[in-house]
Amino acid sequence: MSASLQALTANDLLTGEVVFRSMEGWTPRFADAQLFSDPLDARAELDLAVLETVRLADPYLIDVALTDGLPSPTSFRERIRALGPTVREDLGPQTEGGPLVDALRHSHAAARSSGRLGLIRKR
Amino acid sequence: MQMLIRLEAGRFVRAADDFITLAAEGDPPADGGVIVPLAHWAEMGERLLSEGREVGVRLTSADPVEALLPVLERLSVVAVEFPIFRDGRGYSAAVLLRTRLGYRGELRAVGDVLVDQAWNLVRCGFDAFETNASPEQFAASAHRFRHVYQASADDRPPAFVERETV
Amino acid sequence: MYSYDTIDAAMLADRNAEFRDQVARRLSGDMSEAQFKPLRLMNGLYLQLHSYMLRVAIPYGSLNPSQLRALAHVARRWDKGYGHFTTRQNLQFHWTRLSDAPDILDHLATVGLHAIQTSGNCIRNTTSDPFAGAAADEADDARIWCEAIRQWSSFHPEFTYLPRKFKIAVTASATDRAAVRAHDIGLVLHRNDEGRLGFEVIVGGGLGRTPFIGKTIRDHLPAEHLLSYLTAILRIYNLEGRRDNLYKARIKILVDSLGAAAFAEKVEAEWVAMDRARIDLPDLELARIRASFGLIAHKSDPGGRAAFEADKASDRAFSRFVRNNVSAHKHPDYAIVSVSLKTIGDTPGDASADQMDVVADLGEAYGHGDIRVTHAQNLVLPHISLRDVRAVYEKLSAAGLATPNIDLASDIIACPGLDYCALANARAIPISQDIARRFADPDRAEQVGELKIKISGCINACGHHHLGHIGILGVDKKGEEFFQFTLGGSGAEDASVGQALGPAVPADKVADTVDRLAAAYLDLRAPGERFLDTVRRLGVAPFKAAAYADADPA
Repeated sequence: MSASLQALTANDLLTGEVVFRSMEGWTPRFADAQLFSDPLDARAELDLAVLETVRLADPYLIDVALTDGLPSPTSFRERIRALGPTVREDLGPQTEGGPLVDALRHSHAAARSSGRLGLIRKR
Repeated sequence: MQMLIRLEAGRFVRAADDFITLAAEGDPPADGGVIVPLAHWAEMGERLLSEGREVGVRLTSADPVEALLPVLERLSVVAVEFPIFRDGRGYSAAVLLRTRLGYRGELRAVGDVLVDQAWNLVRCGFDAFETNASPEQFAASAHRFRHVYQASADDRPPAFVERETV
Repeated sequence: MYSYDTIDAAMLADRNAEFRDQVARRLSGDMSEAQFKPLRLMNGLYLQLHSYMLRVAIPYGSLNPSQLRALAHVARRWDKGYGHFTTRQNLQFHWTRLSDAPDILDHLATVGLHAIQTSGNCIRNTTSDPFAGAAADEADDARIWCEAIRQWSSFHPEFTYLPRKFKIAVTASATDRAAVRAHDIGLVLHRNDEGRLGFEVIVGGGLGRTPFIGKTIRDHLPAEHLLSYLTAILRIYNLEGRRDNLYKARIKILVDSLGAAAFAEKVEAEWVAMDRARIDLPDLELARIRASFGLIAHKSDPGGRAAFEADKASDRAFSRFVRNNVSAHKHPDYAIVSVSLKTIGDTPGDASADQMDVVADLGEAYGHGDIRVTHAQNLVLPHISLRDVRAVYEKLSAAGLATPNIDLASDIIACPGLDYCALANARAIPISQDIARRFADPDRAEQVGELKIKISGCINACGHHHLGHIGILGVDKKGEEFFQFTLGGSGAEDASVGQALGPAVPADKVADTVDRLAAAYLDLRAPGERFLDTVRRLGVAPFKAAAYADADPA
C-alpha cells in the first residue's frame, strides 16, 4: 500500500485564485503541487502558510492519491477546485488540458471526502 | 490602564479612564469612580452611591437595560460590553438607554471595540470608547457617511428630513 | 422606477470609499482576516471555490437598461463574460478579484448599483413581485414600499451585527410571486374592509436546515407604520436571537421557541413604546418615492392587440411562446414578457454579457426602461405593448432567451452548487441540465404542465428545494453525490414545505426519477390538476412507489 500523500492548498488573497504549494512557492497548477509523503513535513508547511496572512486566505492540507502515476486529490470537491467548474470546461485551470487534467477528471481515487473541513467551515 | 476615547462636543479626544471597573470579588478602592458589573449591583451598588463617588454599571451583552431603570439617574457611566465586535446586542442596548430610558450620562463601549464600528457606535449613542485606535482614526471612521437614512439615538437628521428642507 | 438623488449617490460613494480603505488596510496587514471578513461580506464579496464571488444587489429585482448594461460591462471587464441571477433577485459574478472589487463597485455606483449588505449578518436585499406595477391583482405597487425598506435597512447602525442574516420580501397580490412566507419577514400589502392600505406581517419563515413557513403576527398593519414595526421586530431579534449556535440563530427559531402569539406581543409592546414619528416615513417622503413609480402611460392600441392575436394564430412557435412566457398585464393592450434563462442544457440563471445587452436594448426600445429579475432566476419585461411582443420574441429567440418553458419542468431553480460554491456538498447544475434534457420536447413539457423543480447543492437551501413541487437536495454519501427528493413544496400563497420521498438517489439516476414522477402524475392526475395538486390529493405514497419501482437497494 502506497504511503498517503498530501498537498497544501489555499486561495490567493488578492485574486481569490486556487493555489498549491510548489517547490518554488505557490502555483495555480495542481500539476506543480508539491506532494508530501510525511505528514510532519506537510504540517510544518501548513504552519508557515498560516502566517502568510497578506498573501493567502485559508490554507489547508488535502489528501492526494496516485492513479496510473498521476496525482489527484481524493476529494471530489478538491478536484473541482483544481480543475474549475465541471459545467464550464472553458473556464478555470482545466483549460490547459493535457494528461494531468484528464487524470483529475477521471480519477477513481476518491471515495472519501477528506480535504473538506465540514459543511460550514469554522475559523 | 485602558485607553479611552471620548466624544466631547463633537470632537474625539484621547482620555484617561477615571474609573476602576470592579472585578468579580474584591473591595473597591478607597475612593474614586467605580464601575460595577450589573451582576454585583445588588451587593454593593447603593453603598457605593452613598459614598458620594461617581458610580457606573457595566452591562454584559445579555443584560437587559431595563434593570438599570431604578438607578439610571444616579449613574455617571454605563459601560456596555461587546464580547466580540460582531455581537450587535450592545447597539440596541445603547439606543434603548438613550431614547427609551432617557439616559444622559457617559455611555461607554467596552470589550472588542474596533475602529470600523465607530460609525455604528456613535449613531447608537455611545460617547466613550475603550479602544487603542487614535482619535483621528476613530473620527474618520465615525464620519464615513455624509448622510444617514434612518433616525437613531444621535441627532443626525435622516435623509427624508434633509430632503424636506431642499 | 426610483432614481437615486444626490443623497443616495453620496451613500454609495461614501460606502465605496470606506471599503476601498478597508481593502487597503487588509492588504497592508493592518487588519486581520477575522476583522476584515464581516466587512468584506457586508459588501457582498465571498471567497468561493475558485475565486471571489461578488453578489450585486438588484433592489426588489428592478433594473433599468443602463444598469443591466453596466452589469454586462462588469462581466466583460472584470469577470469571465457572464453573471448568475439568484433566488433573491441578485446577480453574482463568480470570478472577481479582491484587488478589483473597489473599482467594480465604483463602476456600479455610476448607475446606482452596489453590493451593500448582500451578505453578512445584516438585513439583505428586500425582494418582491417581479410583476409589481404591471399586475392586475395588486393592491398597490410593492416597489414603493420596498424602496422605503431599502433605505431604512441600509447602514442601519443598530442592526448591522444581527445574530444572522435577515431577509424581507414584499408582495401586493394575493398571488405570491415572491415566496414571502419563506422569508424572515414576509409582507402582504392589501386593503382592509375600509379600503385602507396595510400589511399582513408574517415572521419566521425560512429554509435551510430547519424549514419553516412564516406565521402571521399581525393581520393588518397600517402601511404608514411599516418602518417602525419592522424596527420593533428587528430590535427584538437583535436582542434575543440566539448567538451561541449558528444553526439556531435565525428569527424562525426565536419565533418557534416563543410561539407566534408571544412573539407578536413582544413586538407590539416594543412598537407601542417606540417614538414612531421619528422612524416612520412622513407622507411627503412616501409621496416622493411613489411619484417615481407608475409613470408609464399605457396607450390603448386595439390594432396592436389584433396583430398580436393574428400572429399567434398563424405561428405555432410564437403561440407556444405566448402560452408559456407571456402573462396578462393590467392594461388589455400590454403584456408581461418573461425572459427564460433556462435554455435546455445551459446553467439555470446564467446570462452572458451579450445576452444582458440584448435584454437591456429590448427594455429600452420596447419596455419603458423596466426590467425585472425573478426569484426563479429568470428576467421579465413587464411592460411590452402587444403590438411589440412579436419583435421582442424574435430578438429574444436570436439570443437564446426565448425557451418556451416558464414554470414548466425545465424551468428549474438551481443553486451554483459544488461547481462554484465553497459550502456545497454536491453539484446542482449538471443535475438540472440532465433533468431539463428530459423535458426538451416542448410538447412533453407542456403536457406535464406546471412543475416547479428546485435543486440545492447543500442544506443551506439557496436553491429553495424545500419549496419545490419536486425538491432535490444534494448530499455527500461517502464522497459520492447523492440526491434526496421531496414532493409537494410550494413558495406561493399556498406555501408548504416538501415531504421526503424516499432514500437518496445517485446522480445518474436523478433524471430517471424525475421522469418516473412525471409519468406517475400523468397517470394519476384528475382534470385540471397540476403536479402539485395531484401530490397534495394523493400524498407521496404512489409517487414513491413509482420512483423506486425495481430500484436496487441503496
